[in-house]
Amino acid sequence: MAAKTVTLKGMRRREERTAWLFIAPVFLGILVFQVYPTIFSLYASLTSWDLISAPRWVGIRNYVNLVTTDRFFFKTMWTTARYTLGVVLPSMAISLFFASLLNQSIRFKHLYRAIYFVPVVAPTVALALLWGWLYEPNFGIINAALRVVGIKGPAWLGTTQWALRSVIIMAIWAGLGFQIVIFLAGLQAVPQEYYEASAIDGANSLQKFRHITLPLISPVTFFVLVTGIIGTFQDFSLVWVLTGGGPAGATQLIVMYLYGLAFRLQRMGVASAVAYSVFVVIVGLTILNFVFSKRWVFYEETT
Amino acid sequence: MSTQVSRRRFLKLAGVGAAGAALAACAPQAAPQPTQAPAAATSAPEVQATAAPSGEKKKLIFSSYTWSGYEAAMRNIIDSWAKEHPDVDVEQQYIAEDYWTKVQTQVAGGTPPDVGISDYGRMLPYAKSGILLPISELIKRDKFPTDQMLPDAVAQYRWVKGEFDSGGEGGEMYGLPSDAQDQIFAYNKKMFDEANVKYPTDDWTWDDVVTAGKAITKADQNKWGIQRIDLWIMTKGNFLFPAGGANHSADLKKSLVDDPASVEAWKWNWDLIYTHKIAPPPGAQAQTNPFMSGQVAMVVDGVWWISDFANITDFGWDIALQPKHPKTGKRTTSVESDGWWIFKATKYVDDSWSLMQYLANPAGQKRFGDAGYVIPSCFPDIGKEWYSKKPPENRMKALDNIVQDSVKVDYTYFEFFTCFDAYRPPIEAAFADGTDIEKALAEAATIHNEELAKAWDKFNAS
Repeated sequence: MAAKTVTLKGMRRREERTAWLFIAPVFLGILVFQVYPTIFSLYASLTSWDLISAPRWVGIRNYVNLVTTDRFFFKTMWTTARYTLGVVLPSMAISLFFASLLNQSIRFKHLYRAIYFVPVVAPTVALALLWGWLYEPNFGIINAALRVVGIKGPAWLGTTQWALRSVIIMAIWAGLGFQIVIFLAGLQAVPQEYYEASAIDGANSLQKFRHITLPLISPVTFFVLVTGIIGTFQDFSLVWVLTGGGPAGATQLIVMYLYGLAFRLQRMGVASAVAYSVFVVIVGLTILNFVFSKRWVFYEETT
Repeated sequence: MSTQVSRRRFLKLAGVGAAGAALAACAPQAAPQPTQAPAAATSAPEVQATAAPSGEKKKLIFSSYTWSGYEAAMRNIIDSWAKEHPDVDVEQQYIAEDYWTKVQTQVAGGTPPDVGISDYGRMLPYAKSGILLPISELIKRDKFPTDQMLPDAVAQYRWVKGEFDSGGEGGEMYGLPSDAQDQIFAYNKKMFDEANVKYPTDDWTWDDVVTAGKAITKADQNKWGIQRIDLWIMTKGNFLFPAGGANHSADLKKSLVDDPASVEAWKWNWDLIYTHKIAPPPGAQAQTNPFMSGQVAMVVDGVWWISDFANITDFGWDIALQPKHPKTGKRTTSVESDGWWIFKATKYVDDSWSLMQYLANPAGQKRFGDAGYVIPSCFPDIGKEWYSKKPPENRMKALDNIVQDSVKVDYTYFEFFTCFDAYRPPIEAAFADGTDIEKALAEAATIHNEELAKAWDKFNAS
């Protein structure tokens, strides 16, 4: 009997088939639970659909109404933009500060890292309920501490003036741990030789931070910025549980508005249009980030 | 030939197996084919009696939201119905959060429950979309005693096709109410005693509330006379109607949120916080019930709170009739009713109707009372037994309020939630920030008129 000819191409094809078989379950899951709903949502955005009747084709009317007659779309987008700006930039600065401290040789630094990471792994609802108690104007710890120093704390979640600021503070705290870990990894990757060389040249700590640390961790900073904007723009559960969007819509973020449109007002078509609008905005912001990143992000050249 | 399986072959087989399992899990199930038995002898053209193939049990799905001890009580009651119907297997679905999202999703997916807890605010859009089973013929056929129920409760599940609001006389019934939830006026006896103020009486007016509130309030100790009336409670009609105001005109074409009588009622509420300073400031009520924690001496809230208030041990409390308007002498409590309805997609109409009657008829509602289900019945005679219980001493006042002064809750019209979500932010902002309430109501009325016009356009186009 003639021996079967084994070719390199044949072996590669067999390996490829095996690989596809292994990733098939995940691939199917992505197809069914992510790709299909995304495509269906685009279709739904072009219909008038209340979930209990069949969808009715209306073309781009939902999108036109969003920008011309919808009472809350731009207002909610603006609230979300303020929330995103208020959360992302300060949390990056604060987490970089703490990561720098944790990058020193201090005792119990592993314990500190674990403590800072706890909010990241804690259930969102529990965090929101906790902050509800912290913000309670009469019984909460925050106002109690302010009273000790003679300051009358505001109704943090009760007024339109303070509600958004309050949820921003909570969101910064909740996201710090994740960003600290990312920044810490970036800081630890900076070669020590640069610091040693700059020390010889007489650079102080601030100069080292500005001229060595910041440029060399700029790729990490860029990653944190982009993912921070994308994630924060889509925030929902933390604020939903804490304020429900109130008072008077002062903390209504765009995903909360989308949720209300879909399941409270039964306007799934409009909700889908909002979802795609948010997608366009996020993609636009991400593209802008990439464009401007050329000016301040320095990647280490490989030689 | 070697019988050993190589590592590569083993991995290939495992990959094929995993892919096959994933495909099997993702494959859509074949839709069950409805079985049709000859129609039962009934004059109702839409009623069909169906039977499962012999030997198979009929599967009925009952669905409800749940709270406190409700689920345990319901399971007992439905299980006892199921014992009397051994050919039916009842799957009970109790959803603690976001119930209506789940129901809407089930309807969209073509798998609604057979019998479900109903909602007066959703009755009209659901009936209009044709997903609810009309039951007037069934009520007539089986002589269900809707005439013994509170009229305002029944009205919430009655709709005349083509009308913008529910409740029209002669309309089709799409559900049966199970309870009558009014608003109670509760007071903390200890805070009244400490301030040396007499307890509320049936003759109390809004002015008496303010007078007592001023005597009781100690803001520096976080003790307040009254909790401000919740915006939802106002929008249901409480305090608005006694003042002669309303949310909208009778034909639902014009907002009356800025009508002088409505403004008077809203301003009275706003004044509790910002003028008289006898109600806690905003943001101070989120984490605890201010009445139960002894923070406020008086509260107007739903009758369902009685079961929680009954656990109060720190102070004595009671309820009185709602205070009257000082000039008109009127008082009003809104009545809203949960209940039951049947989804039209049910394959087993008679069994669903049988279960629904079991839950909604006088005997069924008595079972709720016996099981400790606390929302009192919409059959006043059955409800009396629950209202006779203590605490509080004068629990019966809540029933008196319903029988004498109740009105159907005022948000059952088409697109109510869209309208309300649009016009309430200025009012909420005025209460949150202490800004001009009259200006806020004027702005709210403008928005309300615009939204009503859109709602009518949508209604007429559909």
